Amino acid sequence: MSVPQPALTSLRPMLERRLLIVSGKGGVGKSAISVALALRAQRAGKRVLISAMTDRVGAASHLGADRLFYEPTTFHGDIQAMAIDRAEALDEYIKLQLRIPAAAPMRSLIRAMQVLADTAPGIREVITMGKPIFDVWQANHDLVIVDAPPIGQLMSYLRAPAVVADLVPTGAVRDQAYRMGATLVDPEQAALILITTPEDLPALETREALVELESEQLVHLGAVVANRVLPPFDISPERLAALPERPASEAAQHHIGLLDVQKTALAQLPIDIHLPYLFGVHTPAEVAARLADAWDNNL
Amino acid sequence: MRRPEIIIVTGAGGVGKTTLSAGIAAVIAQRATRTLVITVDPARRLADALGITMRDRTTNRPTAVPDTGSLDAVMLDVTASWEAITRRHTTPEVADRLADNPYFRAVADRFPAAQAYAAGEQVAEFAQSGDWDVLVVDTPPAEGGIEFFTAPRRMRELVGGRLLRWLTGARIPGRRMFYRRAARPMLRLADTLLGSALLEEIADFLLDLRTLYDGLAARAAAIDRLFGRATVLVATTDSPGSMREAGRFFSSLPEIDVSPHALIFNRALPDSWITARGPKGNTAEDEALRENMARWGLEARRNRDARQEMAARLAVPMATVPWLRRPPTDISGLADLVAGADGLEDIL
Repeated sequence: MSVPQPALTSLRPMLERRLLIVSGKGGVGKSAISVALALRAQRAGKRVLISAMTDRVGAASHLGADRLFYEPTTFHGDIQAMAIDRAEALDEYIKLQLRIPAAAPMRSLIRAMQVLADTAPGIREVITMGKPIFDVWQANHDLVIVDAPPIGQLMSYLRAPAVVADLVPTGAVRDQAYRMGATLVDPEQAALILITTPEDLPALETREALVELESEQLVHLGAVVANRVLPPFDISPERLAALPERPASEAAQHHIGLLDVQKTALAQLPIDIHLPYLFGVHTPAEVAARLADAWDNNL
Repeated sequence: MRRPEIIIVTGAGGVGKTTLSAGIAAVIAQRATRTLVITVDPARRLADALGITMRDRTTNRPTAVPDTGSLDAVMLDVTASWEAITRRHTTPEVADRLADNPYFRAVADRFPAAQAYAAGEQVAEFAQSGDWDVLVVDTPPAEGGIEFFTAPRRMRELVGGRLLRWLTGARIPGRRMFYRRAARPMLRLADTLLGSALLEEIADFLLDLRTLYDGLAARAAAIDRLFGRATVLVATTDSPGSMREAGRFFSSLPEIDVSPHALIFNRALPDSWITARGPKGNTAEDEALRENMARWGLEARRNRDARQEMAARLAVPMATVPWLRRPPTDISGLADLVAGADGLEDIL
């Protein structure tokens, strides 16, 4: 079985980029790792913007806040974070990026455009994905980290510039889309960080995503990260079989069973970074801080 | 209970919706009830969980699951369904024209509400066929799950909405009326943004789409009613993200007259682990066992706290399903899953 090869294994070149898109199957820890990466970049002296594409709460919780807004909020000194609101992004897109005259009847125009953006394929994706890319172009930050939707959904965002180019023969949206596509595929500027957990389904989806990314070349693959990797546990099968204490033997079998799944899952993937399973109760902010530390231990 | 009974399983990605749906369907089918399990999620998990291969992916034709007697399974292909929708609701000429319209094809492929709506129509179709007593529906994850429920009204709004009427005129006189005076500033803007060639395609599309309205509106209302009387089960695990998502289903579904009935807490750990200690000995293995018990004790505590939090927050019945090391790969594995569950039989 051929496995797509990892793109790079060191962190430094990754943080030298301008745009990191963090994705993976739902529930693998994208928001936590987005914030962990931001903490790492901050330690390296970078001015970072976290751009949450999915919801207002996920990344916020790992920053110790309740929610994010379209206007960036500052955390931990100088990390900025915002949530992309599609309506506001559309508004900004029409006003600023497309230079629509101020005299235009904006409210009804924007509402009508929303209908178009909702039906016209690729357009809402271009507008949403466009926001963090505009932030890269504006260069107010050294690094923009996108806490992106699950990988299946993200693919349609990454494909959007090409879809729009196919569908829209002329017009300003097409020009913007073209420029966005160029930023996304430039390995000097942008990279995708693909997160998985050591389980069957996430590993399968990650493999499929790697194949699609390899064939479509929509964005450079920065790293594949395995999150929640379980520690090894050495015990002889004889001892395990002879264990009288019930919870201890159940917990041992549970762990060994999961390790077995983990081994199979990770063997199929070119993992660049391993992040540990964090046992017990941690606040989301602690989780992000621990993952940032753990990232260093990989190097 | 009206037939067929509809059970919809929803929740965040990665909480095991598809496996739970298959398990629930398998249990119901054991009661010699004709059961169909439907997955809208394009994952292969359903086939894997049932231990079957699904042929006819694109025809939406259910496959019988061997050794169950009365269980069928189907994975929905929404592009096919979407085309079927237009054929059902309009004349063959309009349907052909839509099928040839590049804008329509792109919409059918990519407009999420259209996919979710197509799935809803297909479910309604199965419900009407009279071939099954119970339908178990596995929804797409997260946002897609909510969208599955809201799609019928969003489609009605799209096809019959004020904006569209404003854009195309009150009646459907033909393309020229698309360029109504009131719509002109909008069209000038749209022209700058999108170019006029696409605009014409969109205009054609919207005008054709409006001929679907009557049929589609009636159908959408029927789907809404179907969802309204369905038993909606929300699945979660102890991950904060999935718990947040579950909370969102409980708060936002009632706004569209769908009320979730119960919570399924998947991947539960035994409470007995919380205070358990490992063996007392002094060997390296004893040490390793104690360490392992300690870390899983912490996890079990977190897991119990999460269950208690969800129970306190949502005043609904809750079933717990134990954490299996490996998802089931056949019917007997599914039966084990349900047998190990606590309270699942009560809510079905």
